[in-house]
Amino acid sequence: MKMRKPCKGRLVNVVLKNAMFWNGKSFEHQSEVRLNACETSETVEFDCNGALVMPALFGLGLDFMEPLRDDVYTFADGFEAMRKGGFYGGLYESAANPIDDADKYTAMVNRFKSEERGEEAFDIKFLGAYSKGFGTDSLAEMVELAEAGVAGFGDGNGVIPHSRFLRLAMEYGKMTGKRFFFQPMDKTLRHSGCVHEGAYSDMLGMKGIPRIAETIAAYTVLETARFLQVPVHFKQVTCGETLELVRNARKNGIDVTCDVNLYHLLLDDSCLETLDSAYHILPPIRSAADREALWQGVVDGTVNAISVNHTPVLRQDTVVNFEDSVPGALSLEVALPAIWNKLVASVGEARAIELLSTAPARLAGAESAGESVVVLAPEKTHKVLESDFAGHVCNSPLTGKELPSSILASYINGVWTELN
Amino acid sequence: MGALQIKHLFGLQGVSKQDIRTILDNAKQFREILERPVKKVPSLRGMTVVNLFFENSTRTRTSFELAEKRLSADTVNFASSNSSVKKGETLVDTLRNIESMKIDIVVVRHKGTGVPKFLAEHSNAIIVNAGDGAHEHPTQALLDMLTIEEKLGTLEGKNVTIIGDIRHSRVARSNLWGMSTMGAHVTLCGPSTLVPRNTDLMNHVTWEPDVKKAVANADAIIALRLQKERMDDALLPSMREYRNTFGITEELLECAKDKVIIMHPGPINRGVELDSDIADGEHSVILDQVTNGVAVRMAVLFLLAGGRNNENA
Repeated sequence: MKMRKPCKGRLVNVVLKNAMFWNGKSFEHQSEVRLNACETSETVEFDCNGALVMPALFGLGLDFMEPLRDDVYTFADGFEAMRKGGFYGGLYESAANPIDDADKYTAMVNRFKSEERGEEAFDIKFLGAYSKGFGTDSLAEMVELAEAGVAGFGDGNGVIPHSRFLRLAMEYGKMTGKRFFFQPMDKTLRHSGCVHEGAYSDMLGMKGIPRIAETIAAYTVLETARFLQVPVHFKQVTCGETLELVRNARKNGIDVTCDVNLYHLLLDDSCLETLDSAYHILPPIRSAADREALWQGVVDGTVNAISVNHTPVLRQDTVVNFEDSVPGALSLEVALPAIWNKLVASVGEARAIELLSTAPARLAGAESAGESVVVLAPEKTHKVLESDFAGHVCNSPLTGKELPSSILASYINGVWTELN
Repeated sequence: MGALQIKHLFGLQGVSKQDIRTILDNAKQFREILERPVKKVPSLRGMTVVNLFFENSTRTRTSFELAEKRLSADTVNFASSNSSVKKGETLVDTLRNIESMKIDIVVVRHKGTGVPKFLAEHSNAIIVNAGDGAHEHPTQALLDMLTIEEKLGTLEGKNVTIIGDIRHSRVARSNLWGMSTMGAHVTLCGPSTLVPRNTDLMNHVTWEPDVKKAVANADAIIALRLQKERMDDALLPSMREYRNTFGITEELLECAKDKVIIMHPGPINRGVELDSDIADGEHSVILDQVTNGVAVRMAVLFLLAGGRNNENA
């Protein structure tokens, strides 16, 4: 069992020297940049040695799995992961604790605040539930949730409800003007599948989830959205066919946004050959052709944002055979160094920052990063160790892999964190 | 360096022709031993084999147990239905506990794909796959190959047709890898709801939807059992329609070669995938398969345990 390494963050102002600083359009060399995010006399100086200093990131798909096991993963661990990964905020949606009334929203917000010395150290937005308890046929109190401050309404990454309740929920939620966030997945077509239904699942004799489990659900949502004129967002789109539905829907005037999971851009289902449960992610990692289609969607602007979907899983739930493991992956600590270089090569620096920071924040109704920054050495490789992850978990398909770049430090709402 | 390139037997995908040849040649020698009045050899004396079966099994477990006993190994049977697994023990803990009792070889059957490989990553024991989900059942395929060589002389150039529930069949997957490696032409046939939907990684075999065409040039036909326990849905309208469309009947055999051999991994659903008069008829080599199963498993255990030559044969 790895030892817990507490984040060495403290409230300071910083002076970054010898940095390639993002000026809003490009990186330019600055011999010294002062960032004063808090009222303190303490100042840290840091020689960036030519590294990139860019706006901190905003994570779509945070779930610290409370109340999983507070001896294994806590909110504090989640915050440490955010600082290590350079995230100043995120859109939080608890699969375990649906926020289906205003009291639960307030309680959740207070829990986050209590973990951070009573201050708003991160810009966390919350998705409310559109059904009571997720997966029921009872409407959540969406009007009061909207007034309380939820960013939108979600499903806890569950399957799409039956069409009649979907219509009812969106019809009622329309009063709030909030966006509905869906992970498009048809329950019956998903069935007991745990991997992408494709050549590898059939070769290995594993039950697959076909693309049409996603596209049929997405089409149902889009038709309902068109009928009711309700804005919708698709979380973790996995295939080109769904992106094509999004493109066509936009042409027809439907307000639809979507994101793609980091790992769906980095991996394809050939990883299943290893039978390593670290690759057990839902929705599943699809084929190489799907991955290329997702990249095309990133390049042509169909994809609004790249999501992280940070999901800690208990170690004992991963040290089993693939099909019996609990799906989910950590990503906050590794997202930026894993994808930055490839993303920049595909879409350029400005769009890369847009996809990782400003666009996800906008989708969640959050402010921009402001003075919060992350320092990235794009050419410094880094081998991912179990100890890189906060908490007593390490469920990432990138554990043991070498990342093409490294985070050197982050400065998140006044807290400076240096990484080795 | 052992007698085989592989250290464990997870499946036949990727296993070399040389290793399969060595196993089959050793199995032939053990097959001869099984015909002797005294069928026991001391090859694994002092070694302990545990049969770790998380799924129900009668013939495979019995066959392994018999193979182990005839090699003079000490054997322990572990069935999940009456074990600590029922009390919540994890797979790894179960294995480590058993391993602590100083076992040498683990024969494992489990519903999950890749469990044998997973166990090998967490154990020092030699792992033999006795069936993992719908993935592989390598010793069944090896005994099928042994039977074909015994009856037809060689696998090289022979046409082997596998009919039935390919999608859920670990036997079919092991056979399509193993037999192809040994030079046989494998044709797979079954109803569209029972064949894999994506065959890109298995395109070295022939997929033939027409059962009459599938059997026309076959030297051996393997009828697969309908794996109702692995079917989540109603994948077939009726057993009657399946039998009339894909069952091995006298009528269907009229489309096949005169000397075609009929095989089945068992247990047979008589009157569904195989008519009784075919199962018991002149073309059937099903009971030979059962006998060869013991010989093949003896060979696998012997060779994985390090045997270089079968001096006892």
